[in-house]
Amino acid sequence: MDTAIVTPTLRAKDYKSEVAPVWCPGCGHFAVLSAVTKALAHLKLPKERVAMISGIGCSSRLPAYVDAYGFHGIHGRALPLASGLKAARPDLTVIVAGGDGDGFSIGGNHFLHACRRNMDLTYIVMDNEVYGMTKGQASPTTQPDWAKSKLTPHGTGMRPFLPTAIALAAGASFIARGFAGDPNGLTKLLVEAIEHPGFAFLQVLSPCQTFRPEQKEWKHLVHPSDMAPTDDPVEAARFIQADDGMALGLFYVRRLPVWQPQHQPTATPADLEREFVL
Amino acid sequence: MSTLASQRIESVAEFLVHALELEHESAERYRQLAETMTLHHNHTVAAVFRLLADMSAAHASEVSARAEGIRLPEIAPWDFKWACPGSPEVDCDDFDVSYLMTPLQAFELALFNEIRGRDFYAFVATDSPQPQVRALAAEMAAEENEHVELVATWVERERLVATRIPEDLDPPNLQG
Repeated sequence: MDTAIVTPTLRAKDYKSEVAPVWCPGCGHFAVLSAVTKALAHLKLPKERVAMISGIGCSSRLPAYVDAYGFHGIHGRALPLASGLKAARPDLTVIVAGGDGDGFSIGGNHFLHACRRNMDLTYIVMDNEVYGMTKGQASPTTQPDWAKSKLTPHGTGMRPFLPTAIALAAGASFIARGFAGDPNGLTKLLVEAIEHPGFAFLQVLSPCQTFRPEQKEWKHLVHPSDMAPTDDPVEAARFIQADDGMALGLFYVRRLPVWQPQHQPTATPADLEREFVL
Repeated sequence: MSTLASQRIESVAEFLVHALELEHESAERYRQLAETMTLHHNHTVAAVFRLLADMSAAHASEVSARAEGIRLPEIAPWDFKWACPGSPEVDCDDFDVSYLMTPLQAFELALFNEIRGRDFYAFVATDSPQPQVRALAAEMAAEENEHVELVATWVERERLVATRIPEDLDPPNLQG
């Protein structure tokens, strides 16, 4: 008897949940949601084979808006949650989503180790250079002279975190940058990231219309990367160091061993639960 | 290079896939804007976007009816022959969308989008090497032009209403 599951062809819209996004009208995150659903539809991934994991922040609400498995975790801990899930359920396509504050500040250490661990995860960071959900404070990627927040009235005075450079140095095997204003180009990068066997890091420039209205200008500043994707980390490092932060495309992709637990569990969940019984 | 389509559309099936995508994306975006405006308590503009979403959904149904019985090719999102980053009625605009927007601004956005949609069909009607595609595209451009004229009357009506952007009583907490 044929037991294969036949999945009807789903449109991008079918991957959207019934939950209405609470993002501000005009927020770049809408385009990321659209790209995620288009990518899932293009790859014909059954909903029950996809899990979206996030931390905290405006962008971290994404799993609620996707009709697949999801877990809205705690601040900065999306990657550990996703890693645990992937270790237990390697058959799932695990997509992690969050913002620049969640991923590079509170979760910065997890980002480094997720890069070097190279589990088969896709990590989307919607970078708007601000903490939006808490009404507009400087984040790790904010420019040093941004003085619009009352917490940093003279700017932070600190050089911003360079996500692609850090990802490369930490050992990520796929590094790309997309833009919310180019939803179909973003979809293509996302499809490539999901198909990549290993840790795929996708930085998405996603303007915050409310707290960083000047980011509307990004559409005039972004440009395609002038370098073809390379598997040479030295070449990638040269490119990334010279990058103006607005280049779009896949910068670096390399086949590296994908980490997945090799040994059978030594205890069952029930054994572990017994240890916590008071 | 054309500003309306980046490559030529060469078959009726390919054209219909583009038309379906254009109308579905348009309906989806208006629906999303309506939901968002509702969440931000801008109920008047939410109603405008709901009306526009219904219009686009009706257009999508009409295109689906035309496509009945035709085997449509699958086109990857990034392989559509749009000149904009995305669908002409969604991703060409440079409008500021805000929770404070007025019905006039919503209708102006819709007018811009309808014009882009009509111009896309009109361009294919002159650009496609296939006579069947040109004829169908011309027919759809004419239909789309009716929508343009309808939305234009709504814009004019709204312009007669005194409008101003209301003061934001809970503005973003920014300096300067």
